This record gives sequence, structure tokens and C-alpha cells, in this order.
Amino acid sequence: MIEMRDSLSKKLTAMNMLVSGVALLLAAIAVFSYDVITFRRNIAINTSLQAQIIGSNAVSPLIFNDVASAENTLSAMRVSKHIIYAGIYDTQGQFFAGYWRTGTGIPLALPAGSVGQPEFSWFEDGQFALVQMIYFDQKPAAIVYIRSDLGNLNERLKGYAVILLIILGASLAAALAVSRLSQRAISQPILKLADMAGQVSREKDYSLRALAPRDNDEVAVLVKAFNQMLREIQERDSALQESERQFRNLADSIPQLAWMAEPNGDLFWYNRRWYEFTGTTPEQMAGWGWKAVHDPELLPDVLAKWHFSLSTGQPFEMIFPLRAEDGEYRQFLTLATPVRDANGKIVRWFGTNTDITEQRRSEEALRQTEKLAATGRLAASIAHEINNPLEAVTNLVYLAQKQPANVHKYLKLADQELSRIAQITKNTLGFYRDSAALSDANISEILEEVLGLYARKLNFKNIDVTAEYGDGITITGYPGEIRQIVANLIANAIEALPANGRLAIRVSKVVPVSPLERRGVRITFLDYGSGIPPEQRKKIFEPFYTTKKTVGTGLGLWLTLGLVQKHQGSLRLRSSVQPGNTWTAFSVFLPDRPE
Amino acid sequence: MTLEPQAVSNPALPLLVDPNWIPKEPRHNPDDRDRTDQEKKLRIIVVDDESLIAETVAEILNGAGFEATAVFDGAAAIELAKTWQPQVVLSDVIMPGLNGVETGIKIREMIPRCEIVLFSGQAATVDLLEQARKQNHRFQILAKPISPERLISIIRASTEKPQ
Repeated sequence: MIEMRDSLSKKLTAMNMLVSGVALLLAAIAVFSYDVITFRRNIAINTSLQAQIIGSNAVSPLIFNDVASAENTLSAMRVSKHIIYAGIYDTQGQFFAGYWRTGTGIPLALPAGSVGQPEFSWFEDGQFALVQMIYFDQKPAAIVYIRSDLGNLNERLKGYAVILLIILGASLAAALAVSRLSQRAISQPILKLADMAGQVSREKDYSLRALAPRDNDEVAVLVKAFNQMLREIQERDSALQESERQFRNLADSIPQLAWMAEPNGDLFWYNRRWYEFTGTTPEQMAGWGWKAVHDPELLPDVLAKWHFSLSTGQPFEMIFPLRAEDGEYRQFLTLATPVRDANGKIVRWFGTNTDITEQRRSEEALRQTEKLAATGRLAASIAHEINNPLEAVTNLVYLAQKQPANVHKYLKLADQELSRIAQITKNTLGFYRDSAALSDANISEILEEVLGLYARKLNFKNIDVTAEYGDGITITGYPGEIRQIVANLIANAIEALPANGRLAIRVSKVVPVSPLERRGVRITFLDYGSGIPPEQRKKIFEPFYTTKKTVGTGLGLWLTLGLVQKHQGSLRLRSSVQPGNTWTAFSVFLPDRPE
Repeated sequence: MTLEPQAVSNPALPLLVDPNWIPKEPRHNPDDRDRTDQEKKLRIIVVDDESLIAETVAEILNGAGFEATAVFDGAAAIELAKTWQPQVVLSDVIMPGLNGVETGIKIREMIPRCEIVLFSGQAATVDLLEQARKQNHRFQILAKPISPERLISIIRASTEKPQ
């Protein structure tokens, strides 16, 4: 602050003095120049006058060759201290008489070219020289040569320099005083403004305002601009505080636990629900205190993933348990995303923990329910398959009783129908095999049996089925579940197809062409139904999504996907809704053997 | 390889209706005798895509004193009904081509007094009946398997109603 004050006043003072000094010097140079010119002109006039007087008085001594008289006349020059030499010459330039300030000397020769000129003058070596032709009765009678020094001029210059020095001193002193005053008028408001800025930044109080000076100069403009800036900062600050308050309200009202972390991973804020759930205090949780509410066995995994996200900037996603206040662990889906500034630099992390314990339980319950529902639907379908041959058997037995003669024929037919029933129950049993243990699953056989089960439905809609299912393609898996997968996809295709539709099924072996792929089998179900619009394709695997409200629960594909994933396989959907070329293909990949 | 939808019954089934066969049991119900003349006149069309079922049912009904004819799809039933004017049509519901409900509606339009009885082995029937109900068509429905005695008594009961 002191330094700045010195510097500012120094600058002002130096500037004032420089201006005064330069102005003064320019004025002095002008005066000197004028004086020198005037002085020289006066010397020329005076010398010429003296030359005329001497010349007039020298004409007769020259005529009468009276040197003494001429020298006497010349001796009057003694009065003029500056005359160094005066000489009288005849019209031919021959020396006649002379005067020397020192008393004696040698006569000076007239400079070449000056003889015959009426007047010839020049400055030389700080001296003024004049050669003057003297006329008598309009005729040249004599030549006078005078040299005079400029001592007078130099004295005057010295006098002026002394005066200049005195004025310079005085004006510099005045400038110093003026700068003191201007410091008060100019630098003082600026210094006040600087003090105010310092106070604002120290106290973070943006309601302060600088006092505007009374005049309307640049400093006042500066102060106004500064105050305007403060006002805007204050507005932005309060808007920021409001948005911060809203954010905290929001963060406190969401059902998730939420938190924020520094780019280095230090957690500096948690929402209220976090503290309520964990029963901890902000002091316990600061920095890396959150480790205390994790399962110690799983913590290393969590830390490894968190450090990975911190170092790469990749969003964090993980499911892990957190300990509640009562000591019970609950499962949380944790997501954290980096918040970046305009330059893409991470300024903080924002994370949420969503309690998925209930969701997991209800998903499991849903899976069980759907399994039961699927079983129910299957039971109904099987009942139908069995009811028809049963009807035939009932009738045949009745007829056999009525017509003893034809007993053999009726019983033979009844036996055929009973074999049909046996085949149906045998196929059906496949669904209820123990699914806990891996065993050989003959895909070709499973497909054949499931198609057999749906034969009546396919026949009813007159669906043309083309199936290429190879011969005994076998993988290791859970046959009951593979049967369920196949049955669900065929049932969907039948639902999707209109009467007289076409369904193509193909089973092919998958031979890996890169180390990322696995050996296995691919089963493709292609129906030429109306196709699935793109916007439905993703949702179709979500639970409770159905386009056929009266027929399905919307769980079939979700359950099918779950079964495929249990086999570490994949389920792919492609479909076309191009008019005239609509179809849907579900393609199941199952690895040779789940790991 | 093309998969033929499994044939659900043997199409080359021998004709089960023995033209010489006449029911021999005495009728124990004294009321039966009163109705015999009337019953013999009752013409019944039995429709089922499973020919074994259609034929055995027709045979049972013929044995019970009705005049029953088996056909294997809805279109054939409608065609026969035009000329034969049956009093009862007993039809399976789920069949390729015209289903039992559609067949019943068509025949009822032609012969309003004809009694339509449906019999079905599966739950999907409910939807079809619901559709029919919305068009103001109500049908009697029987679940497969049904015992022949019960079938006979139901048909008798339905034709006893004042027509």
C-alpha cells in the first residue's frame, strides 16, 4: 500500500516537474534565440555607424597623409571596449592607420574580395568583422576595417542562465507542491477504492460500496464501475446462494444418499439422508471417513474402483453394501460422475447411493411369480393338448362298452391316443427337470419337442414353419431352462404372426474367430410378422413391457433374457418394419459350457 | 428340412359308424320312450378338426337315437347345414379355418332355431366366447373331455326347451 502510494505520487511529481522543466527550457531557448539575433543586428548597426564616423573623420588625414591625425581619431575607439581592432585603408586597400585595443599590433590585411564592396561583414571566431567603404563627394575615399568581440553577448547569456536556473528551481518547487495537492485530488480516491477492494475481498462482503468523489472525472467513473461490479457480484452471489440452498433442499429430499467429493477423492459434503441412514456425523465422515460404513471385506474392491475413477475420470458405478445405523447392511447402487469446468477439468465428483435392497427382493419375487405364471400357462396349454386325446379315449371306451364286437378296434385306437398323451407328458416333463445342475442339453431335440408342444397352435393359425436344427447339436447347460427360452421365443413368434404366417428357426454352431468369442450354438427365430418399431426394441426386455395386454404379462422376454444370461449367453433382437418387408429375429447365443 | 405341424389325428381313420348297428339296450327311463320318435328326428352335425373325435361323437349320438353326421371343419358344417337343416350343431372351438364360434354364428344366421353347442379343450376359448358375446351371440360351452352320457343328456335337455 505504502509502496503504491510512493510510486503514484513520485510519478505525479516527476511528471509535473518534467512538464515545468521542458516548458521553461523551451521558453528560455526562444528568448535566447531572439536575444542573440537582436544583439547581432545591433552590433552590426553600431559597428557600421562607428565605421561611418571614423571614415568621415579619416578622409582629410588620408588626403593630407596625416597619419597622426588619423590615429588620434581612431583612439576615440577606446570608449568602445569591444572593439579589438580598427584600421583605415586607402581605396586600393593599402593600410594607412590603425587602432588596437591592446595598444599596438600589426595591421590586418583586408580579406580577399572585400575591396571595392560598399559594406562587407561576417562573424568569425566569436568576433564580428566589418569592411566599410567610405565615400566623399559620391566617390570612394577610404576603407575602414573594424573587428569587435561579442563579449557583451556572452555576458548577457550568462545572466540569462542564472535567471533560468532560479526560475527552474522555483517552478520545480511549485510543481512539487502541486503534485502534493493533486495526490489528494486524484490518487486519494483511487487509494480509497483500493482499500475498499481489499476490504471486500477480505470480508467477502459484497454489499459494501466505494464512496464516489464529487467531481465527474475518470476516477468517479472508475468508482462507479467498481460499485456496479460489486452490485453484480452481490446479485450473482445471492443467486448462487439461492441455487445452492435449492440444491441442498433437493439433495436432502431425494430418497438416495448423495455426496460430493474433491477431484482428489476427499468427500466434503453429504446430504441429510446419508447421516440419517449411517447415523454418523460430518466430522466422522470428512475426507475418507466413509470407509467406516463399508463392509471391510469388500472395501478394497470399492477403493480400487474409486481410485480408478479418480485417476481416469470415468464415471463410477458399483453395487455394494453400506452399514445402517442399526448395524444392518443394505445393498446400494452407487453412481458417481465427474463435474467438469469449461476447460474439461474435473472440479468435483457428485455421487448417489440408491438403496436397491427392496428392488432386488421384489425382482426375485417377480421372477418367481413369472415362473409360476409361466407354469400356469404351460399347464393350460398342456391340459388342452391332453384333453383332445382324452376326449377321443373317453369316446372310444364308451363305444367299446356299447359294441363288444368292435372292442379290439376301439381299444387299438384308444391305445394310440394314450401314446399321444404319454408323449406330451414326456415332452412337458423336460421343463421341470432339476435346473440346479449342469447337464447335456440336446438343442435339436429340445426344439423338436417344443415345436411338438406348439404344433396345434401353429396348425390352428396355419403357420408355415421352416426349421433347420441340425442333428443332435448338444451343449452343456440347464436343459429345463433352455427349453423355457425356446418355448418363450416360439410362443412370442406365434403371437406375433397373423394366420398363414411364416416362421423360420435355425440352429448353427458358433466357431470363434477371435479370442474374445466363445464356442457355442446360435438359435435364431425369424418370424415374418409386423416387426417391432425401433422405439420399442429396447423396452421389450424390460419387465412388464407388453404390447399384447390381454395375452401376456410382459415378463416373458425379461425372464428369457435372464435365463440366457444365466448361461452366459446373449440375446439379440433385429427387426424390420419396412412396409412389404416386415420381420423380427431373436437370436440366442449359448456358449458350449458356462464357466 | 421342413417341419410339418404334427398331425394330431390319423386322417386315414377307418369309418367308425357301423350302418348295421342299432342300440339294443332297453331304455330304463320311462320318459325315454315318449321322446324316442322325436329324438330320432333330431339331426345333429358334429364338427371337429380331430376326425377321430368327430366320428366317435357322431357314432355315440347315433347310438343314442339321434341322426348325427361328422364333418371336420367349419366350412363343411355350414355347407351341410344349408341342405340338411340340423336342429343341433355340436362344434369344437379351436380349428384351422373357421373356428367354432364363427361357424356357430353363421349357422345361427341361416337357421335361427338351430341349437349351437360348443365343446373345447382349452382356455383360449374364453377370448373367442367373449368376442361372440359382444356381438350378442351366446353359446353353450362344454369342456373336453366330456363323458358320452353327459353329452347325450345335455343335448336332450337343450332340445326339450320350447322352440
